[in-house]
Amino acid sequence: MLNHTIKYEWLNLLRDRWVMILLILFLGITVFAVRNGKEKVEDRMATITKEKEKMAKLDRRMAAEIDSLHKNLKPAPAARQDSRALDKIGWNAPRVVAMDAQPLAVVSTGQSDLFTHYSKPKIYGEAYTLGFSELSNPVQLLFGSFDLAFVCIYLLPLLVLGFSYNILSSEKESGVLRLTLAQPISLYQWLFGKLLLRFFILTVIVVASILFSLTIFDIDWMGNMGAAMKLILLVTVYIFFWFLISFLINLLGNSSGSNAVTLIAVWVVFVLLIPSIISQTANSFYPVPSRTIMIHEYREAKALAEKKADEILKTYYREHPEYAPKDTTQQNQYSWWLGNFAASDVINQSVQPVLDDYNEALNKQQSWVNRLRYLSPAILLQDGLNDLAGTSPAHYTDFRNQVIAFANTWRHYFTPRMFNNEKMRAEDFGSLPTHSYSSAQVPSHYNADLMGLLFFLGLALAGSLWAYRRNSFERIVSM
Amino acid sequence: MTLKIALKELKEIVREGRFRITAITLFALLLAALFVSKSYYTSVNAQHSEAKKNARSEWVEQGQKNPHSAAHYGTYAFKPKYPLSLIDNGVDKYTGVSIYLEAHKRNEAQYAAAQDQTALSRFGDLTPDFVLIFIVPLFIILIGFNAFTRERESGTLRLLKSQGVSTWKLTMGKWLGIFLPVLFIVIPVYVLAALFLANIKDYGQFSLWALTLLFGVYLIYYAVFINITLFVSSRFKKSNLAFVTLLGIWMVSCLAMPKISTAIADKLYPYPTQVEFEEQVAADKKKGLDGHNPWNTEAKKLEEETLKKYGVDSVQQLPFNWDGFLMQEGEKHTADIYFKHYQLLKDTYVNQTNVYRSTAALSPFLPTRFLSMAICRTDYTSHWDFATAAENYRIELVGKMNGDMAANSKYGDWDYLADDKLWSSVPDFQYEPASYTTVIRQNTSNLITLLAWLLLSFAALYGAVTQMKTI
Repeated sequence: MLNHTIKYEWLNLLRDRWVMILLILFLGITVFAVRNGKEKVEDRMATITKEKEKMAKLDRRMAAEIDSLHKNLKPAPAARQDSRALDKIGWNAPRVVAMDAQPLAVVSTGQSDLFTHYSKPKIYGEAYTLGFSELSNPVQLLFGSFDLAFVCIYLLPLLVLGFSYNILSSEKESGVLRLTLAQPISLYQWLFGKLLLRFFILTVIVVASILFSLTIFDIDWMGNMGAAMKLILLVTVYIFFWFLISFLINLLGNSSGSNAVTLIAVWVVFVLLIPSIISQTANSFYPVPSRTIMIHEYREAKALAEKKADEILKTYYREHPEYAPKDTTQQNQYSWWLGNFAASDVINQSVQPVLDDYNEALNKQQSWVNRLRYLSPAILLQDGLNDLAGTSPAHYTDFRNQVIAFANTWRHYFTPRMFNNEKMRAEDFGSLPTHSYSSAQVPSHYNADLMGLLFFLGLALAGSLWAYRRNSFERIVSM
Repeated sequence: MTLKIALKELKEIVREGRFRITAITLFALLLAALFVSKSYYTSVNAQHSEAKKNARSEWVEQGQKNPHSAAHYGTYAFKPKYPLSLIDNGVDKYTGVSIYLEAHKRNEAQYAAAQDQTALSRFGDLTPDFVLIFIVPLFIILIGFNAFTRERESGTLRLLKSQGVSTWKLTMGKWLGIFLPVLFIVIPVYVLAALFLANIKDYGQFSLWALTLLFGVYLIYYAVFINITLFVSSRFKKSNLAFVTLLGIWMVSCLAMPKISTAIADKLYPYPTQVEFEEQVAADKKKGLDGHNPWNTEAKKLEEETLKKYGVDSVQQLPFNWDGFLMQEGEKHTADIYFKHYQLLKDTYVNQTNVYRSTAALSPFLPTRFLSMAICRTDYTSHWDFATAAENYRIELVGKMNGDMAANSKYGDWDYLADDKLWSSVPDFQYEPASYTTVIRQNTSNLITLLAWLLLSFAALYGAVTQMKTI
């Protein structure tokens, strides 16, 4: 009997133009969202490729010139203009340290509009002064992007609610409910069946739209099946959560109009209010440590270190015998640079505690705020999607650390050679250190986010059971 | 008659549980937003004045130095926070708070708050403007969506007509019935905000006039939403459909349109990336005069010209320190380059702004958003204005340092040291924001669009209700 009613429900839905409208609407929105994401990712990858090409071209040109100098095809230049000087290479031919987009980066813009995706650290410079902010119109940052994450977090729940707000109330209002319940079926099971059917239809539409959009924009989701499955699972759980909320509200036995209003209120609370309340109160009660105060401490430490720098230079060679020049008969052409490195090492060492303290305070604050995401399924979904797209704050922090580490590698490639007073040879270009990006170090939030969403799912299910038990059958059925 | 209807509507709305819950929630939210923003504002302001004091003392007490080294050491300009940012924080979260001012280089403002916050902050913060601009329109829809459909569904619309009530009067009554509750919620917030702002120490730029203007803009925005709500309610037979339609309108104008406009603006007028921008500047710098490189061709040319002008044959014989002079000429040159490139960037930003101004015709949210930020001095234009002032100060500061070196030391004498007398002779960085007349002038188009929305939506409502069918 139950199967029977569900079958008719299915036939009913098929003939409903709602389903068709829903399909077209959602498909259009998804295509637009993925297109926006794709455009951003394409721009990002295009600039990285361009930079890398520029670098390769410069390498070839420099290698050719150095080669002709070595073969005495060109007259030897003045020392100051010698392109074989290592400092020239280290300063003028920096490597491109880039953060390549993850396969599913199109899904969520995340923090990618705030930060740069590549950096060119040189042999000299403080890690602190490396800039990572991207040039952008802040109005764009304020309004945010129309990406798949926006569609899933904000719009999808509304679609679910529109599709299910009256599953019980409309039956009641049209008088069909009494007829249906005259059959030997349980109200709860019947309603749940109706709900599952709608959930099934909507999920198929959503998943198909997402996969279709990804396919037409050439995103290789099939080659990244694991990530694609994770995406679909997360979105499906989120959809189911909203269906259960709708189920719960329907079981309270009110009219369609009142259901719609209540459901919108729930949506406003979970998607708009809780996130903004948490975000604001977290900043007030657990503020981000002050950058302006950090700047001051940094400058004080630096000024102090600079005064000591001369003194320290003297001890530098004593502490680093490995750098002691092997050939003492000629003057080292890099002595200015080496002095500079030594001084900057000292300065970096003395300001490091200030930076470390700041970063530690910031990490603490962020991990505290991160825990608050369990208060709303919308935040959990956002966090999970950023995680899959590789655009979460953690990914950018990790990238910054990779750049700083590479800046060190870059300089340490040159220092020993400079102490030896060597010059660049054409073949050395092949052995210059290179950077390849990997996000393996970033701890994934995905599982925790999924568990959080499942917890909300369980909560909504328990709520619906409670509503069913609490309300007498009569109240649910009567007008 | 209109008043009677309004009172009846009001009574009906107030008696409904739905209204009471939402109204109380809304009011509580606004209060909470106001209090939380106030504490945030106070702490940020305290940090700001401390930072400002520190920057000044660092500069003045930097000890004996060559003036050009002092220019390299530089100082910081901190962006002030204005009292009305307590209502609308605008783009402040996304623009840097401090600009490092040093020789040879114009720096971007650093440390935007959003960069140090988690992705959670991208949802938006519970500031008064969030409630005023997103939630209050929802509240209007919630209490007004069935204003006509309810009467139609219960058949009372026909009764009313038979009594000879003019539909326009009926509509105005219903209009007031929605507007008055909104006013009751917004006015206490306005009064409270005024009290807060008047009691904040060192409140500088606050003017009651601006606050009133701000709330005026919001009231116009609400009037537009009431018109739309009543318009839709008068066109539909069923409350449910009216509600869903209104919700769709709210979503498109408040959530989707801003993001769609962003996509369009970005597509038509993209910003260069930070690295690209820096490289363009560097390429131009390379072509011209380099103050630190006397072997540079441009520098050689300038040397010849200067020697000729003073009728001497070596830089040692010049009446001033050639190094300082050369450095200052180089500085002027780089300042021009920065000016040129920032002007190009500004063109892009103006073009993007114009995109938003045209899409404002499709959403009353956009002109309101921009006006609100502008009045609170938290819009992008205010940030530009501050950055330009900081750059002018930088040019002045570096110029003074190089000038002192040129005038008071000899060529090649890099051991010349100046002291705090010179440092403290540089005035502290003071920034006066643009006057409200300028702000209004910059936003005339937003103001006109919003007023057009008001008039057109009134006209549409009028047209709809006069042709309204009773069934």
